[in-house]
Amino acid sequence: MRARPLLDDATADVLGFDWLAHAVAPVSPPGERAFSELHPFAVGEETSAQLRAERIGEVAARLDPARIEAIRAALLELPDAASAIARASLGDVLADPAFLELRRFCATIERIDALLADVPVLAQLSNAAVGSVRDMLAQGQTNHDHFYLADGFDVELAMARAHLAKVQAELNALRGRESERVARELGREALGGDEFIVMRAELRGAMPPDVRVLREAATYFLCTLEYGEATLAALERRDTAAEAVADAEERVRAKLSSTVRDNAAGLNAAALAVGQLDVTIAAARFAQRYRCVPAELSQQPVLAFEQARFPPLETELVAAGRAFMPLDLELDDAAVLTGPNMGGKSVALLTCGFLALCVAFGLPVPAARARVGLFTQIAWLGLGREGHVGGLLSSFAREVLALKEILSREAPRLLILVDEFARTTTPHEGKALLVALLARLRERRACGLLATHLEGVASAAGVRHFAVRGLRGIPAPPATDDIRAALAALGASMDYRIAEVSGDDVSRADAIALTSLLGIDQQFVDAAYRALVQ
Amino acid sequence: MRVGLEILKLARSNGARTIFVVGTGRNAGKTTALRAIYNAAWNEGMRVALASIGRDGEAMVPIEAPSKPRLWLQPQTVFTTARALLPRSPAAELLKLSSLQSPAGEVLYARAVIGGFYELAGPPTASGVREVVDELLARSEIAIVDGAVDRVAAVSGSDGAIVVAVGAGGTSSLQEAVAEIRALVTRLRVAEVDPGVSAVHVDGALTADAAAALIARGETRQIVVRDPTQIALSGRAASEAFARLNVRCRRPLRVVAATVASIGPERNFEPAQFANAVAAATCLPTFDVYRSTKAA
Repeated sequence: MRARPLLDDATADVLGFDWLAHAVAPVSPPGERAFSELHPFAVGEETSAQLRAERIGEVAARLDPARIEAIRAALLELPDAASAIARASLGDVLADPAFLELRRFCATIERIDALLADVPVLAQLSNAAVGSVRDMLAQGQTNHDHFYLADGFDVELAMARAHLAKVQAELNALRGRESERVARELGREALGGDEFIVMRAELRGAMPPDVRVLREAATYFLCTLEYGEATLAALERRDTAAEAVADAEERVRAKLSSTVRDNAAGLNAAALAVGQLDVTIAAARFAQRYRCVPAELSQQPVLAFEQARFPPLETELVAAGRAFMPLDLELDDAAVLTGPNMGGKSVALLTCGFLALCVAFGLPVPAARARVGLFTQIAWLGLGREGHVGGLLSSFAREVLALKEILSREAPRLLILVDEFARTTTPHEGKALLVALLARLRERRACGLLATHLEGVASAAGVRHFAVRGLRGIPAPPATDDIRAALAALGASMDYRIAEVSGDDVSRADAIALTSLLGIDQQFVDAAYRALVQ
Repeated sequence: MRVGLEILKLARSNGARTIFVVGTGRNAGKTTALRAIYNAAWNEGMRVALASIGRDGEAMVPIEAPSKPRLWLQPQTVFTTARALLPRSPAAELLKLSSLQSPAGEVLYARAVIGGFYELAGPPTASGVREVVDELLARSEIAIVDGAVDRVAAVSGSDGAIVVAVGAGGTSSLQEAVAEIRALVTRLRVAEVDPGVSAVHVDGALTADAAAALIARGETRQIVVRDPTQIALSGRAASEAFARLNVRCRRPLRVVAATVASIGPERNFEPAQFANAVAAATCLPTFDVYRSTKAA
């Protein structure tokens, strides 16, 4: 799954592209290959994006989570048979591990088919080639998970092995007898390994004639057993028989490899299909986990949603025992978003970007309902981006350079999310810059949302103005200096929902109340309130 | 004397299903000892499994490194090897392909159907070794592992047995070889922590620096590591630490025997003298795998 050209690296980081890619990642090697080819749908491909999202939504609706996990478990065990199929296609004689891979590949395909038997929305994966290779490799096997180049594959192989077993037994008997006799002559129970030590002091008489001395030391001999003519002849017969077995085994492998080659097209088709299924199942799992629905794809640059969420943050909040307040928004142009500190302006921008990202990849979106267009680029400007531009520049300079770079792009349909641009300059000039930016975005017919604390930007630019509803009341600071308790109190009092307001409405920042809630001493807070009214 | 059988009996006396054969270094006679134990187990009619940990536990093998000796495996022996090391003939029954990596490539589990020569291979990591041992024990009565000292943690805290091999190769004198095996056995036989006595728990390895700091502050409590492989001390530092600190572990190892190989590529030791010296230094039943004897 490739972020570019839809997202630059900084935007991908901020919007949680890696999080999304991980959440929809397949588990099998063919799935990983299919996943690596995924790219965003381009403007004009709305129907394809819509169909993909609807198909994923249908799979998520028809398969319960337990069935999805069972299919994932099977996919996780799917071996990568691509290399074996490719080598057989080139005329190679495969080695036994490749046959085991192919055997398990065919078995896993059929196991997945069984799990999908009553799901008409997903086609069966198996085909005649898979069946042929499965049947061929099952010959003579006693365990469905193993592979052995069994006698059942070939009569000549069976005969060669039977002969080898016979001559090996003869050799073992001769060697055993010789070894026992020499051990007896040396007065010991056994010789030990191929090389053994005989102490000079323990040697009774001469060294037995069948013992060859490899090394002499002051107190001992290092020896080995020298086999007699009968044993050497048996050894030769064994080696000849082993060569015959090796030849027979190789002939069987060649025959099996040839069958794999004949069925390569069908096997590749099954591998391709299982890879695509893996990607679809992973996306359906994502849709189930995060309660996603297919968005209605619009031909226009629009971003409209109800009850939308930003899953990376929602997951964190749920882990902390808190809830994400879903958002509604309808955006078809450039607009302004205002609201109090910690009121969720940035999260609203992230939610917009995440939904647009999901739609671009044909994924269902984390919302109750959505109507979204495809964009050629999604760009983030503001907090979270600074690290990606410049070194010895002020934060304002870095922002300006980032904006310049974004505006210079060839992006006929741009979605830009701007988080407090020009917050570090004077409010007067900051407002002017934002108004100019909005004018430029309207000229380009870009879709954008600009979050700011500066007043009067929307009316000056003549654009729509959205605002976070804000604090329902000022929560009392917690008794102890506990940031978690303060955040929980704030979360309970804040209405994070967004509503469109008239152009001149002034958002409350509630910044002084928040400093009190976050533990700044009362004297400081009182001084701030006094300064506010002066 | 059938040395392999004697060692097998010692290991099995406490119900061990895993035997790790480790050496003080190269040419310690590990493979010879392993072969003797394996042959004894097979002759006893046991279902045997064999594995090796990399090449002396190295994650990467230099190209010029000598290859491991191949072993003649009897029919029905389960073993691990690398995909690239599996011979074309005789064909073995392939039981499982693993995602574990050995220095020679992907590890697989196989069973010999016809007797033949095979090269063992296995993963170099402790977690990989544990996984391999579990897989082998699921398919056999006893697993014998050509091990590396720093990977025996895989059998720590279990009834697995360890056999320590020392050879004339790789040392300059008999005294040096005996000192090496004494230090190794002292380290591997560190006793289990006494829960009733106060202790200092070492997080990770007990290094020479950490041991020196503990000695300097006159520490008298038990110094506790996870298992003996976490004691990263050798030579003089090890002798000092064991003499002046009460080193213990949470998961002890069970060393059951030592083996000696008195012949080496560069030098030989007098067999009886070497075996007796090792037995005296380690207080372990000590066997000469070339002479088929047990030290007095």
